[in-house]
Amino acid sequence: MKQEISTLMDGELFEDEADSLLGRLKNDSTVRKNWAVYHLIGDILRQPEHIHCDLSAKVRELLRDEPTVLAPRGRAVKQRMRTFALSAAASLSAVGVVAWMSLQISPEVVPQLAMQQSALRPVSMQIRTNSNDYLVAHQEYSPSAVVNGSASYIRTVSYTRDDAALQTNHGEIQPK
Amino acid sequence: MKVHVALCGVLAALVAHAHAEERSALDWLGIAAIAGHQTNYSGVFVYQYDDRVETSNLIHVTEPSGEFEKLESLDGPKREIIRHDGQVWSYTHHQMVQMESQQGRSRFPSLLPEQLSALSANYQANLLGVERVAGYNAHVILFQPKDNLRYSHKMWVHTDSGLLLKAAVQGDKNQIAEQYSFTQLQIGGQIDRSWIKLSTAADLHGKGSHHSLEAAKDITPTNSGWVADMVPTGFKKTMEILRTMHGKHAPVTQMVFSDGLSAISIFIEPNDGDEDDVEGLSSRGAVSLYHKVLDKNLITVVGEVPPRTVMQVLESVRYNGK
Repeated sequence: MKQEISTLMDGELFEDEADSLLGRLKNDSTVRKNWAVYHLIGDILRQPEHIHCDLSAKVRELLRDEPTVLAPRGRAVKQRMRTFALSAAASLSAVGVVAWMSLQISPEVVPQLAMQQSALRPVSMQIRTNSNDYLVAHQEYSPSAVVNGSASYIRTVSYTRDDAALQTNHGEIQPK
Repeated sequence: MKVHVALCGVLAALVAHAHAEERSALDWLGIAAIAGHQTNYSGVFVYQYDDRVETSNLIHVTEPSGEFEKLESLDGPKREIIRHDGQVWSYTHHQMVQMESQQGRSRFPSLLPEQLSALSANYQANLLGVERVAGYNAHVILFQPKDNLRYSHKMWVHTDSGLLLKAAVQGDKNQIAEQYSFTQLQIGGQIDRSWIKLSTAADLHGKGSHHSLEAAKDITPTNSGWVADMVPTGFKKTMEILRTMHGKHAPVTQMVFSDGLSAISIFIEPNDGDEDDVEGLSSRGAVSLYHKVLDKNLITVVGEVPPRTVMQVLESVRYNGK
């Protein structure tokens, strides 16, 4: 359902599917709520300075209820305390960034990730160089190595020049 | 050498047969897997992943002493990978690191019949006709998954040699997760082999000077008692080993599940509190990786599958007792 809403907003839903979804939108309040949240996300991405505060309260409630799936270990305790202290604006812009980054990978993960708290590693995070050993260990036994030969090793030595840059981006979505 | 000649014969027969009558998409995949190890070739290919493009040079020759392959990056800092049968070295930042050493690995790996049958159970395989890649005609084959827990794979296989000229991994809505494609390719003929001597010389004499060259890898089959209940249908466990791993003090349990085209590995190791292993999801091209601490263990799931699949698998990992 959330996937369909997202597709409709992108203008990529087929006409008959769109009609049926619009029908449900009229009758089902949950669908309407999702619709509103998605537009909020879109609005933030376009104009971060114009945010409706009444909506933000709702989103903040939702955020509090969502389980944190991807919070970094070690900082978890500090993070939990900080999360409650967040201003509405900070948490909203974080949702925006996380949603936008995850959109780049798969539209389907947006509904879950967009709702999560701010200290998440976005899904489009590049695999870090220090995880290369896992890739190599995996590659040894993957059928892709049989078909692609050495070409598949390019993955494990890919140029990770932007590791540092990603760290900085990641820093920006952390609450100050 | 005899083996080599015999296999060449088999390949020639397969390709000839493929011409004689219509072969299926699966046949062509099988041919590509063999041809990639049998043919001498040299070319430039581009690897596109996420929002990036990398160009590399690839040389592959089969000598009486085995199969040699050199992959050299042409953009950014110079990185080189040299493979001799099951042994792989990586040269980066002027350092040579042995990446893997599989003595037991078959000299000409190919797709096993059971892999091919697993593949047809999990993917819809279709031949889409003939297209041109790097100046050669290629059969286009498409493997579409029967669920959304894996990617679809599209391959371009040279009509004459059976070489894989291009391969794309696609997610939902056909967006490309990653793609390899030769832009220039020479099949057979005069191919530079000067690097082979260099690499074998380094192999034989320079061992002491190799940076972090690992001691012989210790790999033992194991039954760890760990299970994952939510591995997608069609992924079969192909192995469970206790292994040493570069950069890890304690042995790591690795389970590998394969559906014929992609694989998912689950790594289980004691959590040493290393802050470098940040929990969470990351990806590179078609590969997704998910780390999570479960009790006192660090669990890592890696695979050529969408992010949702590694998450689903990791969330289902539990200790079932021995």
